[in-house]
This record gives sequence, structure tokens and C-alpha cells, in this order.
Amino acid sequence: MPEMDENRRDPLPLREVEQLVELVRESGMGEIRVRQGETEISVRARPEVPATSSVNQAASGTQGVSEGGEPEYSPEMDGLHAVRSPVVGTFYRAPAPGEDAYVEVGDTVSAGQTLCIVEAMKLMNEIVADVSGEVVEVLAENAGGVEYDQPLFYLRPNEQ
Amino acid sequence: MIGKVLVANRGEIALRIIRACRELGVRSVAVYSTADRDSLHHELADESVCIGPPPAVSSYLNVPAIISAAELTGADAVHPGYGFLAENARFAEICERVGLKFVGPDSSTIARMGDKAEAREAAAAAGVPVTPGSKGHCESVEEVKRVGAEVGYPLVIKASAGGGGKGMRVAEAEAEVEAAYLGASREAGANFGDGSVYVEKYLERLRHVEVQVLADSHGETVTFPERDCSIQRRYQKLIEESPAPGLPEDVREDLMAASADLIGSLGYEGAGTVEFVYADGEFYFIEMNTRLQVEHPVTEMISGVDIVAEQLKVVSGEHLEIPEDALYPDGHAIEFRINAEDPNRNFLPQAGLVEVYNPPGGPGVRVDSHLYAGYVVPPYYDSLLAKLIVHARDREASIRRGLRALDEFAVSGMETTLPLHLAVLEDEEFRRGGVTTRFLADRELESEGGLLRLVQHFS
Repeated sequence: MPEMDENRRDPLPLREVEQLVELVRESGMGEIRVRQGETEISVRARPEVPATSSVNQAASGTQGVSEGGEPEYSPEMDGLHAVRSPVVGTFYRAPAPGEDAYVEVGDTVSAGQTLCIVEAMKLMNEIVADVSGEVVEVLAENAGGVEYDQPLFYLRPNEQ
Repeated sequence: MIGKVLVANRGEIALRIIRACRELGVRSVAVYSTADRDSLHHELADESVCIGPPPAVSSYLNVPAIISAAELTGADAVHPGYGFLAENARFAEICERVGLKFVGPDSSTIARMGDKAEAREAAAAAGVPVTPGSKGHCESVEEVKRVGAEVGYPLVIKASAGGGGKGMRVAEAEAEVEAAYLGASREAGANFGDGSVYVEKYLERLRHVEVQVLADSHGETVTFPERDCSIQRRYQKLIEESPAPGLPEDVREDLMAASADLIGSLGYEGAGTVEFVYADGEFYFIEMNTRLQVEHPVTEMISGVDIVAEQLKVVSGEHLEIPEDALYPDGHAIEFRINAEDPNRNFLPQAGLVEVYNPPGGPGVRVDSHLYAGYVVPPYYDSLLAKLIVHARDREASIRRGLRALDEFAVSGMETTLPLHLAVLEDEEFRRGGVTTRFLADRELESEGGLLRLVQHFS
């Protein structure tokens, strides 16, 4: 029975989690991690919508429309780094069909590491990370077209 | 009809092509640089692809990016517009190789006509009069002097790969040949990567006239009544009109027939323009442009033919559809190029925010432009902001209409050539018609209470 399994563990500190969610929301921080004995809790704001702005939108009732004067939200504001395509071409996540992708979400990559290929006129352009960090999101579809300057990945750069 | 056309250009001409596509039910793909993210061609096309950073060499001249954009979007054809890749034979050849239709003649015709010395030979071979001068290229100072002794001075030495007045020098007498030859060759090498030159007798008092041509793949060719493009500044056309004022009917017929002979001999396909100089009742071939030209609307206004639509029909393998009466000028049309240049400061190029944009309207007025209020003119590309074309029953009426429309035309945020055009229309000699290409060089611009006036200087 599932309940039995739950009961074997320490009860989840739901009050604490609630407080952490509140803290992430109000501070605008990307992520908070706390460890207490064996338990580690990590609360992360959704990368596409910052917690603070979703509260504002709910309050004002304007969904997805940026209000006059306010800069449009971009994930870069949360400290994410976009790796953009330097060429027009076809985006490939793996070196060859059937092979593993160069990187997956959650991987840690170092600057200079290959993230993907963009093929243009039969030329395979290896696109490398320009900063070290964690892969947070893959933004383009495998084998789909990408244009110049289109964001391909979001990386969370390592703290210096 | 082809299904989808990639427009490899920007600005007003990209819009012009997208509009023709929309009317024909052809899907359009715009390409744009990061400097053109807010441009209308990007907004109006069915699809668009960002192809590179602002410098043209990395975007609008970036062949791999444009070909990739065509492949990704499944375009059947590429329309190069004018400028950028429009007369690049290598680009046309790459399109042919990857199975994209290039809207224009085949790459070998572009290469042949792109070499001005070879184009002269082709014209002479087709029986078209060419300016007296060298046969093909001139390889040495001695060769130029031999031509000089034969046809007389002054001579003009021109870059074979050239255009727009670059790589061009005039020698008034034999003593000036050496410096002129070396100067032209050096400039040609620096600008076009090819230092070869040819020589022509220099005609000083001449008019620039040209013939719009269209040819389909079934052997049908059409030549339109001539355009007069004599109002130029430093070899850049500013005002074009059709028909040429005061041109005798038999000269018009000869010009059209000579142009038809040339394109017939080339097996030409698509739109093109055969350029001539005209002086003292005689005309001579100077060059052929194997593309759509900036001033094509002048011909459209007096013929009622949509030249861009006909180009798309030709590339689709269809027959030209030109009614017989389109070949006789219906009234008179004048085009004014409104450039972002300050006439009071030696035509210094302008860039920046367009605060107010209110183009003229009313009968017989056409404006081809990519401007809107709030648009920012980027500093990276040519200075053409808008083309104003007026059409009326005769030349006098179209000049009056031009004055009215230019006066209505409101653009603020930068200086433009609008006041210069008003000054030209007020000029007595221009009003009489038939001025030569020295018209602007022979005059000073005077500023009078915000208005410009042209004052002829006698030297």
C-alpha cells in the first residue's frame, strides 16, 4: 500500500515548503535549496514565468499582455543565459541520427562544450556553450529550422 | 504558377515584390537582418527568417544563409530585387544548382552582361550601335592611346566589372591617358576585385535613356517605351520619367527595336533594362542591367503592366500577358527618389527615427515605401526612403502633379531630398525638357527660407 511507504519516511515539512515558495515568489530569486538532516528541499521558480509577475498578472487580470512601460519579460532577467544560433539552418541535438543528444536538461556543461549542430548548406556547424553552467531548457525542436540569433538553449551560468 | 517565393532583399523593393506575390496568390518569405526586425517586409510576408547581423555582407549578401532560409521554408524561387545579389552570377548559379528558380536570366547571361566590355561586344554583334571605342578590354596605356588616335579625345576609361561611376576616368588628351588608365584600373581592382578596363569616346552633352524589356521562355519579347534618367547626381539617378521629353517617334521605335534585337540575340529570359546614351539624334548602347530596376514603376504607370507580376509568370514558365496598347505611352509619368540625404550638407546620409510620415495621395499618385511613423532608418543600408511616382495626361500636367504631391509629402525626423525635387521642378530648363546628365553638376543649390533653389553657374 502506498500509505505504508509514506509512513516509513519522515513526514514532509509542508509548512516549511509553503514558506519557501512564498520566499521565492516575493524575492524573485530563481531557486532556494534547504537541507535539514536527511531532507533536502529545493524550490525553483518556473523559468518561463517569474513567480512575482504571475502574482501581478493574476491580480490585474491581464494575462500574458505586458503593460505599457514595463519591459517585456525575458528569462535572461532571471540570470539565464541564452545560447543563440549563429547561422540559419537545421537544428540537431545529436551528432548523428540514433545517437544520444549532446546534452540534456539538467546536465552541467563547461564553456566550449558542444551543445548541438546547426546544419547550413550541408555544413555541420557545432554550436558550443559560451559559458559554463547547467542546461535549463532546450528551446528548439530537433531537426527543425532555426534562424539567425534564435535562442537554442537556456543555461544557468555557474556562480563565479 | 510557382507556390512560394523568397524575397532576398529589404526596404521598399522587398515590399513591392511581396505585394505582387499576394495579388497572384503566391506565398512569400521575407529574410531580414537583426537591424530590420521592425521592418514592414518582415511583417507583411507570409513567413520570415532572420538571416544575420546588420552588415549586408553577413545578411543580405550572405548566400549560405539565404539558401538555407529558402530550403527551410520550402521556397520554389528567389527574387533578388535590385542591388545586393541581383546581378551576382555566382548566386544565380548556386540557386540553379540547388533547384531554386532565380527570378532573372540564367547565370551565364548575368555574367556576360556584367562584364561591360563583353556586353559592348554582344550589343555590337546584335547590330546595336555602341559608342566608338575599344573592342573588348584595354590591356595597356599604349592600347588606350591607339583607341584615342582612332576615335578622338576626350576618352573615358571604364571598369569592365564596374557601375555607378566607380573605376571611371576621363582623359581630355593623350598626355592624360597614362594617369587616367592607371587610376581607373586601380580603382576598379579595389572596388570590384577586377582591374580590367575598356575605353569609349567621352560624350559630354548627353541624355541617359533606357528601355525596359521583358522576355519569356517561349521566345516572346516585349520592349516598352523609353525612360529618361538624365537627372543624376554623381551617376546616381534621382528623377526618372517616361516617355523621354521631345524624343522623336522614329528614335523611340529604333531604341525599342535595337533593345529587342539585343535580348533576342542573348536568348534572354525575365525583366531587364538596356541603357543608352542619347546625343544629337544618335543613341549608343552603354550597358544592360539584368534585373528589376528602381525606376520600373515609371514604365508601369504609362503601360498599366505589373512588371514584377510578369517576372513571376516568366519564372513559372508561363506566357507574358502584355496587351498591344501597353507598348504605346499612356500619358506621362515621373518618379522622384526620396533619399535620406541632406541636400544642404553635401547629401550627407541620414538615419534615425521617422517622427511623422504622411505620404501624398489623390489622383495619379503612387508611393512605394517601407516607411511608417515610428520606424527607425538604420544606418547600414542605402538611403532610399520612398519613391514618389506621379502620372498624368502629359508632361506638363505630371510636373504640376509632382509639385503638388511633393509639397504634400511630410517626413520629419531627418533631412531628405524632397526640397531638391521641388527645386528641379521649378527649373526653367527642366520644364522645357530634354536636359543632359550634367544638369545638376551645372547648378548650385541655394537655400532660401527653408526652400531650395537651383542656380545655374556658367563656367
